Amino acid sequence: MPTFIALIYTAEVDWSRPEYADGLREYVAFNEAHAAILRGGHALYPSATAACVRVPAGTEEAVVTDGPYAETKEALTGFMLLECADLDEATAVAAEIPATRYGTVEVRQLHPSLGI
Amino acid sequence: MVAGDLPAGDLPAGDAAEDAAGRLVREEWARVVATLVRVTGDIELAEDAVADAVVRALERWPRDGVPDSPRAWLTVTAKRRAVDLIRREARRSGKEAEAVLLGEPGPEPAEAVRDDTLRLVFTCCHPALSADAQVALALRTLGGLSTVEVARALLVSEATMAKRLTRAKQKIAYARIPYRVPPAEELPRRLSAVAATVYLIFNEGYAAGAGADLVRVGLADEAIRLGRLLAELMPDEPTVLGLLALMLLHDARRAARVDDRGHPVLLPDQDRSRWDGAAIREGVELVGAGLRRTPDRPDAYVVQAAIAACHALAVSYPRTDWDAVISWYDVLLTVHDTPVVRLNRAVAVAERDGPAAGLALVDQLGNLDGYPWWHASRAELLHRLGRTEPARAAYRQAIALGMSEPLTAHLRRRLAELPDGTLS
Repeated sequence: MPTFIALIYTAEVDWSRPEYADGLREYVAFNEAHAAILRGGHALYPSATAACVRVPAGTEEAVVTDGPYAETKEALTGFMLLECADLDEATAVAAEIPATRYGTVEVRQLHPSLGI
Repeated sequence: MVAGDLPAGDLPAGDAAEDAAGRLVREEWARVVATLVRVTGDIELAEDAVADAVVRALERWPRDGVPDSPRAWLTVTAKRRAVDLIRREARRSGKEAEAVLLGEPGPEPAEAVRDDTLRLVFTCCHPALSADAQVALALRTLGGLSTVEVARALLVSEATMAKRLTRAKQKIAYARIPYRVPPAEELPRRLSAVAATVYLIFNEGYAAGAGADLVRVGLADEAIRLGRLLAELMPDEPTVLGLLALMLLHDARRAARVDDRGHPVLLPDQDRSRWDGAAIREGVELVGAGLRRTPDRPDAYVVQAAIAACHALAVSYPRTDWDAVISWYDVLLTVHDTPVVRLNRAVAVAERDGPAAGLALVDQLGNLDGYPWWHASRAELLHRLGRTEPARAAYRQAIALGMSEPLTAHLRRRLAELPDGTLS
């Protein structure tokens, strides 16, 4: 069965704050409703906490910087893995992810040849 | 032994026979490709195999006569060709491919062909594909145009079009866009996406005008062919009936839309004896069929076709039933309320109640400052009211915003007809 990733882009969220309690409950309900096809997923800490790693051309040493740099209204704030027969099934499930109502959810099939 | 629509005995000789064979082949293209997509699971391979079968048909049919069932002949020939292609490219073991492709004896059942073709329609017009990609796939995969023909019609280079088509087919495979008809609850939304793609193709051709650019104008014919395919596949869907009716009723005016010098002739001035009566009759019947199937909620395409039918049935522009036209615009606004629809309604009101009434509505619209038709409509109404200077300014704004070459020429002529108030 093919697997799809739902990449969730929203304004930054701090799930530990009490005002997000309702939002959190929505996700718990979503996860329960779709447990049969969910193959993993997580919310992420804000993009300001990210570290970028690169090995510059001609060197062997990794350089770690802060980032990402783009100042956009919507950042990657979470992801989910969905096992579905095709894109229409995957987008139908993704449409129920709470973030679709205040952000954007990008759905892509996982490439079968690279992965663990 | 020949039968069907075009028995060999009736086939004209030479070029005419080739044209007849070409038409038959084009009519069957989408269905044969759809069957091949089902058995091979690969749109690209299916198209290649069918294209080869078509080449053979065009060589043989004019010479030996059209086979009993052109579709079955093309399907069997394409399946054999697909086996060759699979063997050559080692996409699958030859034996396995042969078993899959040649295993089912006899012709494909009509029901299966219909279902396959519907699936292909919804795959090519899937909302996850860009509008450009949908248009290209509709013309190539459903319409059977070659990549070169699609490129020419859409005014892009052959290399660009080849890339666009390849990417679109890759996206279908990699994104796993399904090859199936959407479930009933999604059908209306998906169907309107299919209709929008076909109507976009029609307008590309229609807007190009007649005579000026035959390749572009051919797009209107292609869109009507696709519309007929949809109507055959979904004879009870009002959107499909309305779409075909709308295209036929607009296209019926084609011969009257330009004069001998290639200038556009607008609706009021067209020689109605040059309109295509057969297309109008078919369009009007389809409007009736569409209306009978939409008792509860009007369909936007059916209603637009009803408006086009009011014009098509009027003996002259002044004797158009403007009450009916305006009522249909009111119905259209209940399902499709856009400034452009309101603008067209205002123009109809101007015909019934005079230019001042129309202008008042046009001026209420706002937000259409960047739309050349808004300025052109205002200019015309101001012209009729004798308000020379505002009319002049509005004509100039419409021209500055850019309309098609012939329409710009029309506006310039109207501008020149204004009394010369100043000596500028």
